[in-house]
Amino acid sequence: MWAFLGSDVMFFGAFIATYLVYRGKSLNGPYPSEILNIPITSVSTFVLLMSSLAMVLGLHYVKEGQKNKGTLWILAVVVLGAVFMGFQFVEFREFAHEGLTPRTNLFGTTFFILTGIHGAHVTIGVIWMAFLAYGSHKGALRSDNALDLEIAGLYWHFVDIVWIVIFTVIYLISANDGPPAGIESILHG
Amino acid sequence: MHRVSKLSFPLRPALVLVVPLAIALLAACTPENNQSTFGTAGPIAADQASLFKFIFWIAAAVFVLVEGAILYISIRYRRRSDSDKRPYQTHGNDKLEITWTIIPILILAVIAVPTLTTIWAQQNNVPQDKGEVLNVEAVGHQWWFEFRYPDHEVVTANEVHIPVGRPVAFKLESSDVIHSFWVPKIAGKVDMVPLNNNFLWMIGDEVGTYYGQCAEFCGIAHAHMRFRVIVDTEEDFQAWISGMHTAPDAPIAGSPEASGKNLFAANCSSCHTTDSTTPGSYAREISSQQARWNGWISDIENSGIVSAPNLTHFGTRSTLGAGLKDLTQESLEGWITDPSSVKIGTRMQKHAAVYDTADGTAKLSPTEVSNIAKYLLSLKPGSAPSGAVVETGGNVDGAEVFATNCTSCHSTGDNKIVGPGLAGIGDQAGSRVAGLSSDEYIEQSLREPAAFVVDGFPAVMPNWSHLGDDSIDALVTYLKTLK
Amino acid sequence: MTIKSLTLPQLFPRPKSSTGIWSWIGTVDHKRIGTLYGITAFIWFIVGGIEALLIRAQLASAENDLIDPETYNQLFTMHGTTMVFLVIMPLSAAFFNWLIPLQIGSRDVAFPRLNAVSFWIFLFGSLIINASWITGNAPNGGWFGYAPNSSTTFNPGMGMTYWVVGLNILGVASIAAGLNFIVTILNMRAPGMSMFKIPIFTWMTLITSILIVLAMPVLAVAGIQLQTDRVYGTLFFDSLGGGDPVMWQHIFWLFGHPEVYILILPAMGIVSEVLPTFARKPLFGYPFVVFAGAVIGFMGWFVWSHHMFTVGLGPAANTAFSISTMLIAVPTGVKIFNWLGTLWGGNIRLNTPMLFSISFIAMFTIGGLSGVMHASPPTDAQQQDTYFVVAHFHYVLVGGALLGIFSGIYFWWPKFTGWFLNEKLGIVNWALMLIGFNFTFAPMHWLGMDGMPRRIYTYAENMGWEGSNLAASIGGMILGLGILVFIINVFYSKMNKQIAGSDPWDGRTLEWSTTSPPPPHDFDVIPQVRYRDDFWFTKYPETISEYFHDDHDQAVPSGAQFDDHDHDPLVVSGGADDHDDDHGHGGIHLPDMSYYPFILAFGIAIFGIGFLTNTYIIGIGAPFFLWGLIGWSMEPVNDPE
Repeated sequence: MWAFLGSDVMFFGAFIATYLVYRGKSLNGPYPSEILNIPITSVSTFVLLMSSLAMVLGLHYVKEGQKNKGTLWILAVVVLGAVFMGFQFVEFREFAHEGLTPRTNLFGTTFFILTGIHGAHVTIGVIWMAFLAYGSHKGALRSDNALDLEIAGLYWHFVDIVWIVIFTVIYLISANDGPPAGIESILHG
Repeated sequence: MHRVSKLSFPLRPALVLVVPLAIALLAACTPENNQSTFGTAGPIAADQASLFKFIFWIAAAVFVLVEGAILYISIRYRRRSDSDKRPYQTHGNDKLEITWTIIPILILAVIAVPTLTTIWAQQNNVPQDKGEVLNVEAVGHQWWFEFRYPDHEVVTANEVHIPVGRPVAFKLESSDVIHSFWVPKIAGKVDMVPLNNNFLWMIGDEVGTYYGQCAEFCGIAHAHMRFRVIVDTEEDFQAWISGMHTAPDAPIAGSPEASGKNLFAANCSSCHTTDSTTPGSYAREISSQQARWNGWISDIENSGIVSAPNLTHFGTRSTLGAGLKDLTQESLEGWITDPSSVKIGTRMQKHAAVYDTADGTAKLSPTEVSNIAKYLLSLKPGSAPSGAVVETGGNVDGAEVFATNCTSCHSTGDNKIVGPGLAGIGDQAGSRVAGLSSDEYIEQSLREPAAFVVDGFPAVMPNWSHLGDDSIDALVTYLKTLK
Repeated sequence: MTIKSLTLPQLFPRPKSSTGIWSWIGTVDHKRIGTLYGITAFIWFIVGGIEALLIRAQLASAENDLIDPETYNQLFTMHGTTMVFLVIMPLSAAFFNWLIPLQIGSRDVAFPRLNAVSFWIFLFGSLIINASWITGNAPNGGWFGYAPNSSTTFNPGMGMTYWVVGLNILGVASIAAGLNFIVTILNMRAPGMSMFKIPIFTWMTLITSILIVLAMPVLAVAGIQLQTDRVYGTLFFDSLGGGDPVMWQHIFWLFGHPEVYILILPAMGIVSEVLPTFARKPLFGYPFVVFAGAVIGFMGWFVWSHHMFTVGLGPAANTAFSISTMLIAVPTGVKIFNWLGTLWGGNIRLNTPMLFSISFIAMFTIGGLSGVMHASPPTDAQQQDTYFVVAHFHYVLVGGALLGIFSGIYFWWPKFTGWFLNEKLGIVNWALMLIGFNFTFAPMHWLGMDGMPRRIYTYAENMGWEGSNLAASIGGMILGLGILVFIINVFYSKMNKQIAGSDPWDGRTLEWSTTSPPPPHDFDVIPQVRYRDDFWFTKYPETISEYFHDDHDQAVPSGAQFDDHDHDPLVVSGGADDHDDDHGHGGIHLPDMSYYPFILAFGIAIFGIGFLTNTYIIGIGAPFFLWGLIGWSMEPVNDPE
């Protein structure tokens, strides 16, 4: 699993690098400063962070052998993950409504593909967790094979950490990005 | 239990390996070849070649040593008869291994020093102490090279003239995909990357013509994207520059060239400019070229225009089709009739209306093709300085004035080149501005173009008053006949 | 990922037969999967070879019009793509599959079904890329797919879409296989086999797998970006929308250079096994060779921009990448000297595998030396994108990787099948290949120095390139003839079987201790490992003191010293449980066969076809994908007995 995560680090790394290279190079709006809604995304980030906490608690109780508490916390992970995806869905729709699509400009291209790929990871995680919650409910997930959950948890924490990086580079450091300097000469040069 | 081969290794295969290598080595080093990197004619290529030779001899020494060791060991320690001798099972020798780790490092350090000094000497700035720097902008297009001389306001294509012994600073650009600018005998290549301008300087040491070729895969006609660098003496270069500002003599009325000129204006001039000799024509050609590109990119399948080489003084060139063939009446006729017989994939055939036939050959009779070719070959600096108003005594042919001056930007049909197509302008002009008749509107547009820029078109049209009243009147009359 | 006691109805009966096509589709046996990889890759090798011969036929004379430029562009694009992704990588994977469990004394890989899924995904991916020939839209933008020439603006056909979809699918297969081998090598070694006792081929596999797992995602990113550009109109590499073509080059070569080592390190591993066996001496300086391989794998990440010396990154970047590129020659040189050291003083039997391996050193050295020449940006300015570079990397990939792989084929064939490949035909095979190879690629050095660019479908008569090109084309035919002799040899030897025992070459490593071919469970008794080259020292215990005589740190280790601390619990999952309970006693548990890997891969293939044709087809793939996935996770590795 660690090897897989290493692989995934390269994967996200390259996408984030692309985003950073293209940051502030969009030739036309909407620019990040005009469209990003940091308070709302902060809430969804908080939701995702809480899901990691739930993950830790779920693993703890499964290892302790407390089946019901374990199931409950794993279920919490599923719900929180789904809420996060809901936020992302609403955000995507809102952006499209305001005229930002992957085809609009470089910001749109890099933003949608990067957060979309992350969203796909979260979705896979949610489905995986739902399976594990079901397994835990049925009593198939026990303290002796908690490794299954531990691996899933590793994945979940990883996806969470990646989001913190994405949140930092997209929402925090480029929140005020407008058109690139000298855009006139780029467009008409 | 151990099966051991009965065939012991014969010596001859080793020779078989060495012989082709030796023969091939003998065949090497052909500095007289057109694109050889050895027979250099400029300091950049010369330094690159001498650095190569320096590394080559070091590599050759290592080669002989290692390959010799392989052969020696394979022969000396090969199994003799059926000996089942078990050699001493040594695990290695740390000292020896550290030694042969350090030796390559030392060798590479020896190679690295001249490498680094050469990088910084060649890839930094143009040397300022080697004479006046000539600036040239080279633009890669699919699949030809455009050359602009911003200091001299000269634009040409596929054959670039530079003065001997003077540093030339090339600014390398691309309008479409990545190309690479390479004149092996004068300078190693530098890529032409869209949105990333590159710089390359070179000095031509000897007068002559040098071959160049695009070195980065750029699409279907990549193999046919070539060019020439012509190193002139300083006098010849200055003469060439001033020639590029001298209009060609007008063809004698009724001659094949005169017919060819009209055919060219009708069929070719929306993409090819032939008259970039007058003041202001340099800027106009650059914006026309941009406009052709915009036209092509906005409708790749059906565009009637496409980026195309400037053909000013085409008759002075030595090749056609981006350095493909020697320029002769015959080769030019072949090219005009069916460009893809010379260069498969050329965009001209796909986009120019004249090739819109079943088999793709030009909708022109052999005589017409021959006339166009004769006209193009006649394009050379003429006897009259450009820009002088030619007094015609009131008898001016408006169509001809249009063909010489306007066709690079305006078509006589509906399609947009740089400016709008002019079909039906006589009818529309009267209703454009309240209070102006169509005659007045057209004349004003020619004399004060900035006042009436049609929406959506760039404000690049120059003031044409210098043509003289007679020509302007003839032009207005002619334009009103366009339907 | 398996939740074993969940009992959902079996969606598909478990395959039971051990013969016939269904036994191959359902197989999870690493040896059978290795065979599948080998056969498939060899078929693509013939396809890629035919593409190469067509290219050489076109270039044999100046102004030749045998092949039109569009077809030519398709041919060289597919030749490169095929040879890299469909031939050398999977041929290496065939060796990994066959040998790793045998070399480390294990009964299978860590995740047998993941292993099967890797192969099936690889098969479908390769079929999708090559299906482009049938639809008449083969990729034509080069195996490097440089933007913006690969965009829909400049490349409107479907070709590059096939290319990028196919590569993304192949990437999934490679990553899965890479993960599998990392986990296998780290966790499934026989008792007593510490990391510095594993065979050198296993080491190189480990390094290669790590490179695959880290490099292929980078290609996937480039692929996804290009794919969304082409299919959905995003702007990653669209220079008209501000996207930077140089960005593609950085991402592609950040993958592409480690990829070079992914191609060559397995061959180096093979050679490092063949040379000691036929010299009858241990590998000279095992730690140095391992360390050199690791250093190559590490430094391979810091040299990518040497593919971009002419892109205009500036003198500072060129200086840095020039130095890093030269440095990577050092560990390569160390390996060559260590191989020579291995041969020195040996009792060298020049059988076919050995001839190939010695030729590997000779040819790879040439490729390495020409590599140093274009590690210097000023000389590279004259060599970049010319036939000099073509010569260089063919000396590395054909003279290196391919000769190494052929060496491995002749070496391990008796182990795989139980019979030898014919020695006389083998030597003819070797001689033709070596001569043909040199005739093909040596002249390309001077073609490059004479200014012939790559990827041109024709050239003018007055350039002085005709003689060398003709020689290269004839050489190509000879090389092709050599391959033909190999194919003949396989069939001839099959008909005139010369039976090999379990240890025909007097081998040194564990795979020679079991029968030829090995039983499905590989080893009747899991071996206990005490030494490097354990099998040799078991056969010849009197030589142990020679190996250890001047190395007091390791002085004759006694018994098993299995270091449990590198037994990372987090990487064990799924199929690893066949290993724990059975070294030497009790029943042998092998994972049961399964169809789900095939179904899962089939679903992924449909996804790919969906990207190529119509998005709705992706919906058709989804049920297969989910069926495979759910069936897989519900199906226990072993049915209860």
